[in-house]
Formats: sequence, structure tokens, C-alpha cells
Amino acid sequence: MNVPSPIPDAGEPCKTASNPGAVLSSVRLAFAMLAPVLVVVILVAILPPDGNERADWFQFIGRFHPLLVHFPIALFLLVPVLEIVGRSARFAYLRLSVSFVLALATVGATTAAILGWCLGRSGGYSGRLITQHMWGGVVLCLVCWGCWVLSTRLRELGRTYAIVLALGAGLVAWTSYRGAQMSLGPNHLTEQMPSGLRSLLGVKESREASASLADPNTFYGARIQPIFSARCISCHGAEKHKGNLRLDSYRGLMRGGKDGPVIQIRNIQKSDLFRRISLPAGHDDFMPRGKSPLAADQVKTIELWIESGASDTLAANAIKNAPSASIAPAEVKFEEIDPAAVAKLRAAIAPAVAQLQKQFPNILAYDSRTSADLRLNASILGSRFGDRELDSFAPVSEHIVVADLSRTAVTDESAATIAAMKRLHVLRFMDTHLTDSTLLRLETLNQLESLNVYGTPVTPAVLPTIAKLPKLSHFYAGQTGIVPGKAVPENLVSKVVF
Amino acid sequence: MSDPAMRLRIPVYRDGKSGSSTEVELALLQAQTRRHFFRNLGAGLGTVFLGTLGSKLVPFAKAAGVETTALDFSRDPRTPLSPLPPQFPAKARRVIYLHMAGAPSQLELFEHKPELKRFDGQDCPASFLAGKRFAFISGVPKLLGSQYPFHQAGQSGQWISDRLPHIEKQLDDICFIKSMRTDQFNHAPAQLLVQTGNPRLGYASFGSWVVYGLGTENQNLPGFIVLLSGGKTPDGGKQLWSSGFLPSVYQGVQCRSHGEPVLYLDNPKGVSRVLRRSMLDTIDDINQQTYAAFGNPETVTRIAQYEMAFRMQMDATDAMDIRKEPNSVHAQYGSKPGEASFANNCLVARRLAERGVRFIQLYHWGWDSHGADAKEALNIGFNDRCREVDQPTAALLADLRSRGLLEDTLVVWGGEFGRTPMRENRGGQVMKYVGRDHNPAAFTLWLAGGGVRPGMTYGETDDMGYEIVKDPVEIRDLHATMLYLLGFDHHKLNFRFQGLEQKLTSVKPARVVAEIVA
Repeated sequence: MNVPSPIPDAGEPCKTASNPGAVLSSVRLAFAMLAPVLVVVILVAILPPDGNERADWFQFIGRFHPLLVHFPIALFLLVPVLEIVGRSARFAYLRLSVSFVLALATVGATTAAILGWCLGRSGGYSGRLITQHMWGGVVLCLVCWGCWVLSTRLRELGRTYAIVLALGAGLVAWTSYRGAQMSLGPNHLTEQMPSGLRSLLGVKESREASASLADPNTFYGARIQPIFSARCISCHGAEKHKGNLRLDSYRGLMRGGKDGPVIQIRNIQKSDLFRRISLPAGHDDFMPRGKSPLAADQVKTIELWIESGASDTLAANAIKNAPSASIAPAEVKFEEIDPAAVAKLRAAIAPAVAQLQKQFPNILAYDSRTSADLRLNASILGSRFGDRELDSFAPVSEHIVVADLSRTAVTDESAATIAAMKRLHVLRFMDTHLTDSTLLRLETLNQLESLNVYGTPVTPAVLPTIAKLPKLSHFYAGQTGIVPGKAVPENLVSKVVF
Repeated sequence: MSDPAMRLRIPVYRDGKSGSSTEVELALLQAQTRRHFFRNLGAGLGTVFLGTLGSKLVPFAKAAGVETTALDFSRDPRTPLSPLPPQFPAKARRVIYLHMAGAPSQLELFEHKPELKRFDGQDCPASFLAGKRFAFISGVPKLLGSQYPFHQAGQSGQWISDRLPHIEKQLDDICFIKSMRTDQFNHAPAQLLVQTGNPRLGYASFGSWVVYGLGTENQNLPGFIVLLSGGKTPDGGKQLWSSGFLPSVYQGVQCRSHGEPVLYLDNPKGVSRVLRRSMLDTIDDINQQTYAAFGNPETVTRIAQYEMAFRMQMDATDAMDIRKEPNSVHAQYGSKPGEASFANNCLVARRLAERGVRFIQLYHWGWDSHGADAKEALNIGFNDRCREVDQPTAALLADLRSRGLLEDTLVVWGGEFGRTPMRENRGGQVMKYVGRDHNPAAFTLWLAGGGVRPGMTYGETDDMGYEIVKDPVEIRDLHATMLYLLGFDHHKLNFRFQGLEQKLTSVKPARVVAEIVA
């Protein structure tokens, strides 16, 4: 390589190795570096993480794994940068650092791997993720070492070196992704992806996909598995099986964990799972550790299920005294009022409404601050409100959804005015002199849900007309000519209130 | 108080868009006093300081001026009770709140606990007592099973004891919350918490908030009326219907169910209504002159109050006069005109509801069944209380339903906390009468009408009825739910006072119990 270099011999490490003594010492050094890596390989091979938790020095040391692991990653990924940039004449001196950086990365990766093994072995990990992450890390140590040997001692194998380096970079990405999946969750990269981008890239929203499907008609499938899926499988599921226990399937549950079965059929005292979920939250054995306890009725449900035989075929409704399945708490969402939109909605009637509100204070109001529907409550004016007054409301009649004419002096002459209020949901004229003739003209009110004729001289003759109102659910007919049981059409019986 | 604007609660009128807004603005400007100057000085200097820092800090300066999408509750000062639409469409238009002061025992009325019955008379387990405070229980009390048999009733099949045979017939309209919880175990603060959202004095009561938010359609009657059944005034006193920091026009008006509904409302002997009118006109003239000279909006409110009292002379007397009801109705309610009773008040409540009164608050008394004497005994006085409320409450529900009023009237029945599954042993002694101590950890309250899901039970307590095991409902959750039924987001029904957007539900997060909304 004819690169002008600030330091003679730079980039030619092989020359220094032409001296046999130097070769020997450098081979020794290379194997000295390899030895710890091999130790890790042996440890990982004969003592893999088994899901058991050991509270000892190993776990204490192991907890430093996440802290340290980022250094060798950064160092290793720096190497391709140095190599590529170093190809340009101006930055050729960068390549001098490569072997040193790789040596550091090898030492760092090996240390991180040992710590990682400590954590995996005693932190209660087992499962697919930890195995892949672990072997990824071990292979990375070997790759680091290999790159270092290639770059310092076997520089002539330039092409092999480049390939190993590229593979190593890929392996770093894969292994770190697996590690992040363990600490942040399997979908940590996509779960917060904005929905626009999500649909653009075709990423599916996958939540709680890991629990195996249990038959929802069984008590287990309907009541028990949902509790485990919600509260337990983040540690005892397909991705992580702490304590060697999996609660994502009936089989896993009944097989138990490292200390044997967690469920003893019909014996809650000896069922370790039940014991742990019913302990006080501060207890050493309490589960789910570090999280809020299971709700009392969930514990009760599990207890009854174990006592009933812990079967996966028992029908969903077989346990009579089981707490009712709790409905997910309903949330009420309040929407902001958009004054401009409301003003637009009301634009057509606002002047008429303002005029009427001035003329008849307090009896005409919008149904709410968000709507252009109107409520008319003339009942508070009593006999001071008659046909002439009601007629004044004709301009807004189609916007009135609730009209209370109780105790007013309104008579049958207003029948047409009332019938024109086509969107009425509620119509009340308790204790008025309105008669059948008005009621018979109300069949146009197809939105009417509640009709109140309490204390009027209305007779059963109106019932067939009333029965035709499609949305009517309450017909208040107390103190009228209508009496319970007589001449009330079939479909009206449950709607008449006396 | 020498500070007129303090009494005025300026913010109510601040954004007055009503006809008199210029008048109000002028009035406010003139009401600026030395105190206001000093009160505003701090904020003013702060703003000046931020201003001098230049444009870099403009965003901060903007943030200092709080921007909210607050609802506008401003009204013309002459009609402070004028109706306003709710925030969003709502089922409930008014509330009848039947408060059973003293805290009735849920274990004798609504909570069927056969396990507790099984352990009746046995020593209370130590785990029930560890870390607990009781009003009177000391040492190791005995467990006490329900004193009365329970059965299921109505199509909804809810459990009820044999003490409430009339209410039992209305069971399918009732929604029980069996998992109510409070953090107060003495009557006065617990009642204040239920009625004002806060156990301390000085907060606005539920009725005041509702009338502040919705006003009232009938301007001839107060929007918030309080009726006591005689006997003992609730421990929380008149604070229970105080308007707190809200303008005083929103406070509850305590009415009497016989004689003058409001003391001194009637004209004195020898003063005719015409004479009264001319007297009021003269006072009005003087008030107008005062207003012209000093521009204090409170003067305008004063004029409005005189006018309302004059109108009330007619309407309030009529609304309260239950002699106008037929005998069949009196038989239904068990009411007897001329006495102070819960039955009479229930009938009055229906008459007020018909007349568009927004919030009707009834208090019954004597439910504090400690067993210290016969009146407080679960097997003696408690029975009298049940008899006093059972028939009228049931009649009120039935009457409201048949008149179509239950659709938009929210009825609430409950006390301020629950009672223990242990028998009270005041001073560690076995007492002569049977009673229970206070239990704030669980109690039962029921709602009916006004958009509540009928015939259901929400929440659950343990087998002893001691602690909630499912779906706890805090007092603030109940308030948020009731405001929701009335058409409000509880965050938005607020009032700025002492630097805080004060709310009925106070500062802790409250949940609308949507499960009980039909």
C-alpha cells in the first residue's frame, strides 16, 4: 500500500512480525486474548441460563452488563469507519488506530459477555430471546478477536478481513436488537410508530399475540387465561420464561416451573401460584413481582377454578359463585367545544332564537352548548302561556326536540303547531286541556320517544295512533281516560306508564 | 367586608357578553381599589420583568397569561340565576338528593352477607383491626350479622332486607353503588365531603355548583332548595348548602315545609301586596341612585334579590303548600300537612321538581346507629328511621315515574359513610343495645332516574361487607358521574378562586362511572 503516512511502517504491522521472537510473542498475545473468549464459550455451553433466579454476587455483577455492553459495540462499529475513511490519503493515519481499537473492543466484548452470562444465569432468564442474544454475544467476541488477528497479524488476507468485519457489524445489530427486545419488549421499535408511517410501511399492530388461543367457551379460556395474559406473560410467556414457568398456555401452566407444578388440583394451600398471588405485595415471594397485585376478584376466580379441579374443559359458566367477569372500565371522553362550528350550526335560527328568548325569557334554550337543538319549557309560565304564545315559536319549530307544555293554557287549536315540531323527542302536556283531537294529529312525530299526557282528558281512542309512533318508548297516561289493561294495543303495553 | 369586588367574585362577570356588559365593565373599573392595586402589583411587576427580557422570552410571557377553553358562566348581574345550557346534551335536568344524615347501616338494608351472619357473635379477626381507626370500637369487638332477613326482589333480582317493603317495589328503577368509599370517618367532615367535595369548610356545595352551571328556569323560586325533616340538623350544618367561594346567590335556600316556606317572606300583618310593591319601587329608586353614584354591580344584584323575594311570595308559598294535594296523594306519601317530616318534604320535592327547581336537597336525620341508646339502636330507633323514609321515598319514585319526571330527574339516596360489620363495644364493654360503628371503607348509595341505568348493582364488598373488593367509587367519582349525567365535564364546571380552577371534584383525578350510565 503506497499510502503516504505520518508514521513510517504504519499499516504494515506484518513487517514487525518478521522477527521470529516477535512472531512468537504476538501469537502468545493472540492466544492470551482468545482464552477468556473460550472460557465464555465453555460457560455458556455448559451452564446456560435456566430461568432460575439466584440472588448472589453473580447477579450483582451481572447487572453491570447493560452498562458496559455499549462500549465494545461503539468501539467495534468504529472500526469500519476508520478503515473506510482511512482509505483516503488525507486520513490514512486513522488506520493506525484500528488494531488498538479492535483489541479494546475484544477485551470489552469479552468482559460484557462474562457479565451477560452472570446476569442471564442468575437473573431468572430463559427462552428464545436470551439464547439468541447470548450466542450472538459469544460469536461477536470471537469475531472481534478474529478481526483483531486479521488486522494486526494477517494483513494480507485483506478481503477476508473486510468480510468478517461486515458480518461482525451485522451481528452487532442483530444481537443488540435481541437484547433490546428483552429489556424493552418484542415490538419496541414499532410500537410507538405513528399510524401514518405504520400503514405506509405495512407494519401490523401486534399486541398480546403471544398468548396461545384457548377455547373461550371454557372457564379456563374465558376467565383464567385472560388474567394470565394481562398480568403474567410478560415474564412467563413465549419470549421470557422466568422461573422456567410459562403461563401462556394451559400446558405450560400445568407443567409448572423450576420448583415443580405451581397448581395442585383442588388444593389451593399447596398451589404455589395461588400462594404467591395472594401474598401481600411486599413479600419476597409475591407475584407479579414489582407490579400491582391481582384484583381481589381475579384471585377469587383463580381460587375457585383450582378448587373446582383446574380443568381446561370446564364450561365458562360452570362455577356458579365465581365473581362476574369484570367489564373493562368504560372511559368517558369529553370533547372540546368548537365555538365556530356551533355558531355555524346555529346560524340559520340564531336571530329567531335570540328574539324569542327576549320575548319569553328563560323558557327557550339550546339543548346544550354544542347543539342547535332547542328545548321549550313553557310549563313554568303556566296559564300565562296559551295558543297565541306557542304560535310565536313556529319559526323554530323544526329545531325543538323537547317541548314541555304542562299546566299551560294551550288548547287543541295548537295541534298543527305541535305537529309541525317534527323532530320532537320529548313532548309533555300534563294537566292541560288538550284532547284526543290533538293527539290524533301527532302521527307525524316519528322521532318521539316520550309522550306525557298525564292528567288530560285523553281517551283510549288515541291508542292506535300512539302505537304507530316508531320510536316511542314511554307513554305517560296516568290520570286520563286510559286505564291499565283495557284496549291497550299489544306493542304499547310495556310502554304505557300509569 | 369593606372590599366590594371581593364579595362580587369578579370572574363571573368578567366576560359578560350580555346586554349590560359595558355597564358591568364600567362598574368593575370603578370598583378597583387600593387592595386590588396591591393584589395585582406582583403579577404586574412580573409581567414588566418578562417584557424587559425582550422577544426571546415572549413564549414564557404568553404562558404566564393562562389560556383556557373555559366555559362561560357569565350572566347579566340582574338575573344571576338565568338558565344556561349544559355543556353537552344530557338526560338529567334536575337533582333530588335524599341525604340520610348519620349514615344508615348498609348491612341492615342492602348488603346481603350470609358469611357475616355465619360468624355472628365471634371475635373479630385481628386483621380487621390492625391499623384501623374507629370512632368508638376498642379492644376486640364481636362480628355482627345482619339483624334482618334479606331476600331478592323485583325483576332485577337485587337483594334487599325486609325493612324497606315500599322501596322494594321500586327496586327495578334503582341503581345501587355498593362500593362507595370516603376518607372521613366523622359525620360533619364526611357530610361536607359528600355535599361539597371537600371535608373542610368553605367549599361550594353540589347544589350551588349545579345552579351556577345550569341556572334555573323558574325565576320565581330559588334554584337550590334545602328541606330538613325536623329533628336534628345535620352535623355539617348550614355549610352543607353553602355556596362557598361561588357568588352567594347560588347558595341553598332552606325552606320550611309548613308555615312560611322562607322565614319573613310573607308581608307583615297590615301590609298589603300593593303597599309592598310601592315600598319595593321606592327602595329600587334609592338603589338605582346608589348604583348611579358608586357603580357597584352588587347593588344591581340586590335589586334583583328584592324582586325575586316579591315574586316568591306568590310562587314559593304555592309550591310548598301540600294542602293543595288530594288525599290519595297524602295516603301514598304518608304525608300530614302541618308537620315537619320527611314524608311532607318528599311531596314538596315532587312539587318543586314540577316547577323547575334545579336542585332539591332533603336531609333526614338519626341514622347514626351506634347502639348507645334506644334511639340509636339497630333493633329500635333504626326501625323508626326505616319507617319514616321507606314509604315517602318509594312514593316519590313512583310519583316521579308516573308523571314522566323520573326521565330527567336524578334521585340520590345515601349517607356519608358506612357501618362496620362489627358490633360496637363502646369502652370495650358489651352494650345494652345493638349498634355498629362508622366504616368509611365501604358503604352503599343508590341512584335512580336521570339517565342512570335502572335495576343494577355496581361494585362489591368482601364477604363481611367490610372492604371493597371490586370497582371502588370515591365521592369525587360519584360527583363526576352526576355532573356527567347533568351534561358537564367535571373539569370544565370550574370557578377561579385562590389561584386555582376550583371544581366540585377538587384536585385528585375523578372517574365518571360510565358503567352506571344508561
